[in-house]
Amino acid sequence: MEEAVYDVFARKRRSEPLRHIGYVDAIDDALARVYAWKTYDEENWFEMCVVRRSHIIPVNRIDGPYAARATGRLGRRPGAGR
Amino acid sequence: MSAGTFSPEVREALQRLILSLADTKRMLGIRYSDWLLGAPSIESGIATASMSQDEWGHARLLYAMLKDFGVDPVEIEHSRPPGAYCSAACLDEPFADWAAVVAGIVVVDGTLSLALEGFASGAYDAARRRIPKMLAEEAFHRDFGHAWIRRISAGTDEGRERLAAAVEPMLADAITCLLPDDEEAGLLAGAGLTAPARAARTRLARRLAEPLSGLGTAPATDPPLPADWISSRRRPAGEPAGDAVERARGDRNRALFVE
Repeated sequence: MEEAVYDVFARKRRSEPLRHIGYVDAIDDALARVYAWKTYDEENWFEMCVVRRSHIIPVNRIDGPYAARATGRLGRRPGAGR
Repeated sequence: MSAGTFSPEVREALQRLILSLADTKRMLGIRYSDWLLGAPSIESGIATASMSQDEWGHARLLYAMLKDFGVDPVEIEHSRPPGAYCSAACLDEPFADWAAVVAGIVVVDGTLSLALEGFASGAYDAARRRIPKMLAEEAFHRDFGHAWIRRISAGTDEGRERLAAAVEPMLADAITCLLPDDEEAGLLAGAGLTAPARAARTRLARRLAEPLSGLGTAPATDPPLPADWISSRRRPAGEPAGDAVERARGDRNRALFVE
């Protein structure tokens, strides 16, 4: 079973937009939820969401970390930091 | 209701219940902490570290309830010898491998949460106020454990065998220590402080049936009291390993205490 990259989005208040705060590697959605909540627990988040990076559809670039669908690459770039 | 409204017998049983739950939380935190750096991935190690801290926070809240009984929680947390601990016996020694950690999360933490649910629904005000937040945090422990048990169950024969070998004794011990079906448990249930042991055990069996199904085992949820059962400690004879209790008490940092 291969792990996938999940991007983590969160906001501290209802009035704020969700913003990208980082990512986790996980084997499925259930573990991605737990890993995100436990890894990025430095704030009292109003809302947190995770999305599998390969489900993000790039619009104007095919060379970034979110271009997995367009390029067929999955996961994060080799050597990419957290 | 506050502690002072109960009869002396019920108060004594209630105090022992709180100590058993608090000590089990504290030792579970120690056992999770043994695996902060040995987990299969960075993310699972971070989650384990966070769960370890959750357990210690919950333990501290439970120890604080003992003030209602005229007991100094600081003394209880920092001065007792291992033989006075009331934690579940399956936490006396470290988890042998990651399969045992997963078994501990699903079985011991899961049984502990079910016991706390019954306590939070009972007549003791402090439990009704303080435990719901613990249970909200425990939802992530449950999700973590269940995801990992699915992962191992869908993996190799060896993984399933190791998990099953860890689950079986842990389950019997967790049920015996955390949902005991003895005279004192009957006293607490009769006073409206906890759920009756039989009902709680049935609920646990239903709750664990799905996560344990991949191991091909159904939980035997009616273990008899062991011959060496010690009512005053709500556990069989034995004690947590000395090094774990030294860490729990903070022996090496005693000179630095600021409380």
